[in-house]
Amino acid sequence: MSGNEAMSRGAIEAGVRFCASYPGTPSTEITESLMRSASDRGIYVEWSTNEKVALEAASAASWVGVSALCPMKSLGLNVAADFLLNLNLSGSGKGGLVIVVCDDPEGHSSSNEQDSRFYAKAAMLPLLEPSTGQEAKEAILYAFDLSRRHEVPVIVRSTTRLSHSSSLVNVGPLPQVAPATLSSFPRGLFNVPQPAVKHRELLSKIQLIAAEFEKSSLNKLNLGPDAKTLLISSGICQSYSEEALALVHTKNTGSLGLVTTNPIPTGLIANAMAGVERVLFVEETDPFLEDEIRSQYVGLSTPDRPRFYGKRTKTLPAWGEMSVDHVVKGLSQVTDLSHEMSLHGGLEARARGAKLLISRPLTFCAGCTHRNVYWALRQEKKRRGGQLVVAGDIGCYSLGVFYDETMNTMQAMGSGIGVACGLGQLGRFGFESAVVAVAGDSTFFHACLPALVNARHKNANLTFLILDNETTAMTGFQPHPGSAVQDKGQRRISIPDLVRAIGPDYMTTSDSVEIGPLIELIHTTVAKDGLRVLILKGICRLEQQRRGVSHEGLGKVSVNPALCRGEKCKICFSQFGCTAIGWLPTEKQATILDEVCVRCGSCIGVCPYKAIRQE
Amino acid sequence: MHRSVSLQGHSPGVIYLDRLYNVLIAGVGGQGNLLCGRVLAEAAILKGYRPTIGETFGASRRGGTVVTHVRIGDHDLGPLIPRGTVDMLIGLEPMEALRAAVDYCGERAIAVVSTAEVQTMQCITGTTKYPPLADILDVMSSICASVSPIDPVLALGETEYRRVLNSFMLGAALTIGIAPLTANGVRESLTGLMQPVGPNVAAFDAGLKTSVRV
Repeated sequence: MSGNEAMSRGAIEAGVRFCASYPGTPSTEITESLMRSASDRGIYVEWSTNEKVALEAASAASWVGVSALCPMKSLGLNVAADFLLNLNLSGSGKGGLVIVVCDDPEGHSSSNEQDSRFYAKAAMLPLLEPSTGQEAKEAILYAFDLSRRHEVPVIVRSTTRLSHSSSLVNVGPLPQVAPATLSSFPRGLFNVPQPAVKHRELLSKIQLIAAEFEKSSLNKLNLGPDAKTLLISSGICQSYSEEALALVHTKNTGSLGLVTTNPIPTGLIANAMAGVERVLFVEETDPFLEDEIRSQYVGLSTPDRPRFYGKRTKTLPAWGEMSVDHVVKGLSQVTDLSHEMSLHGGLEARARGAKLLISRPLTFCAGCTHRNVYWALRQEKKRRGGQLVVAGDIGCYSLGVFYDETMNTMQAMGSGIGVACGLGQLGRFGFESAVVAVAGDSTFFHACLPALVNARHKNANLTFLILDNETTAMTGFQPHPGSAVQDKGQRRISIPDLVRAIGPDYMTTSDSVEIGPLIELIHTTVAKDGLRVLILKGICRLEQQRRGVSHEGLGKVSVNPALCRGEKCKICFSQFGCTAIGWLPTEKQATILDEVCVRCGSCIGVCPYKAIRQE
Repeated sequence: MHRSVSLQGHSPGVIYLDRLYNVLIAGVGGQGNLLCGRVLAEAAILKGYRPTIGETFGASRRGGTVVTHVRIGDHDLGPLIPRGTVDMLIGLEPMEALRAAVDYCGERAIAVVSTAEVQTMQCITGTTKYPPLADILDVMSSICASVSPIDPVLALGETEYRRVLNSFMLGAALTIGIAPLTANGVRESLTGLMQPVGPNVAAFDAGLKTSVRV
């Protein structure tokens, strides 16, 4: 099973009964696999509107004795942080509350590569960093136990390589499914009037937990008596360190793998370091352990402590993802071990190969209606001589940044409309660009409402495009409040009704399949003044495919060779760039690749010579 | 607390971990790359190993590069194969095979590569040119111990090859051998995982019949 499935299994073995979450790579499968057991195991699982709501809901469950899990991606914890840094003082309940945060070093599927462990430090909460699928399952079980005993939330940190790799996991027994026993609602679930006292109480709990971590069997020391070098690693890096040691086959280097990393087990670390000359810290993304351990040794003279190496000494890179190769390289730098990876052909062949390679940049799917919207925005930008700024955010529509950089800004969930609130006030300073904000439907519910209210309240001058394909497409089609199909017991919330209630100066709902009318609608709307909202109904072709919707019955799309201007034009395939539009090198003309085409006919409106037709 | 790690290195020059075999599968989204890795891992489990699968699938649904690392050994290892320690590279697409060779392969690597190109969007639109197949194979030969190009279109036909390329390439790789696995073991695992079963098993057997030179 994958690391994510292992964590889900751990939660079930620990008797989890409540899970609230918002999807985000690489964390999504934890909640999804829990959903598969939900009815059998009597677990309530929901996709909440955002991570803060999810954490609040999960905390409520734990307060009355219902064991709760709250998985999220790295960036999700930023959203939930406001609540987290109050919840730490209020405490969780007898049910136990485990927060799983999945970081994404290198940012494979994220807009940053943050190290979320600092939230555990900021909130002074216990933190576990498992290194394998097996350990991930065990860590979740232990986290629930710890949380229940101390009534504090416990954070388990995973990373992409743990969450998304698969290995054998030995499962444990499942608890009996019994009716939940509720504890009485706790008193004092607030931090006022003396948050400082609550802070002191939290510190006392953490002291007890620190003592427990010193003896935890999750931490592993492998150190011979004559070892002069010690690798201290956490999370997946523990397996990198072990493999690096095996690769360089050295006897005088040992390894300390830490799973309990906040509070750090200082006694265990001091014992491991005694008699060692050098320590190399191996961890995923920032020097979290390294700084913590360095800070405890500040002021001690050199004979009393080993030399420290890590990200701070540039022995290991302080950005990007860690790997066995990095550890081997770092290790050979700090010791006299010379290790050459056996690379046949070596650098020269690799350099020649690298020159041959071309990239495969991400692009919209064939027939994706997001492409149509950006195509229309590109036309509007041209008409305005470039005087149009598009502020966007997170979802499949983020691909707009790769589409002739049509999307100009892309940061956090909902930040497009927030940034536009500012841009929409800059006319008074002479800012002349028209302002457009873009958000998807799931993002709209997640984080756009406060900014949209702000835009209305302050009369910001902007156009807000809501690209509504009725699903959370980017992360695998999770339902949200606006989805067309809702689970039993859930009620659909209409985006148009919500927007209407806020009272924009102009609002309309339209289709985004036909290009011509879309270009005109965007043009006339952007030309207006005030707060304008366009709800553009879109279609996710992958979601359609999942539902088994066939386009076979639709007319075949083709290029009329008599009308295609070929090399003189190239608009359809080199600018519009639908993946279903190909190029015939001998005829020097465009062609429609029928095996890729979804027969939406959007490209018909793109050709200025009416050369594309549909049967 | 104290645990012994029974990972041992071997002869100098070639560095590997005891009883460990590293397979890298390189291709583009939609080629069934991840499933290929699963088939090998299941076959390894049937043989009593503890395989680890590392997947890079951020862009898998959207035609991006997809690489699957399958590590067949006795221990829970990190999911990524260290540079230069690939034993078998299964290339579902020639340029992606080269990309994987540049990043991960060394003199231990035996490469079996499909010659059927998947053009990038930029190649289709004429912005860039797909590198010549001969150059790809030439560079790969300088990086890897051996490179065996295989034409799945010739063996399976234009439409069929798209559906079952992964099973076919697994068969072709097994003509050389994926150390601890047997053709029968992989076929058994494939039967349980690949859909539709019939055409995939047929493609696997067709792959086994190809004459792969090492």
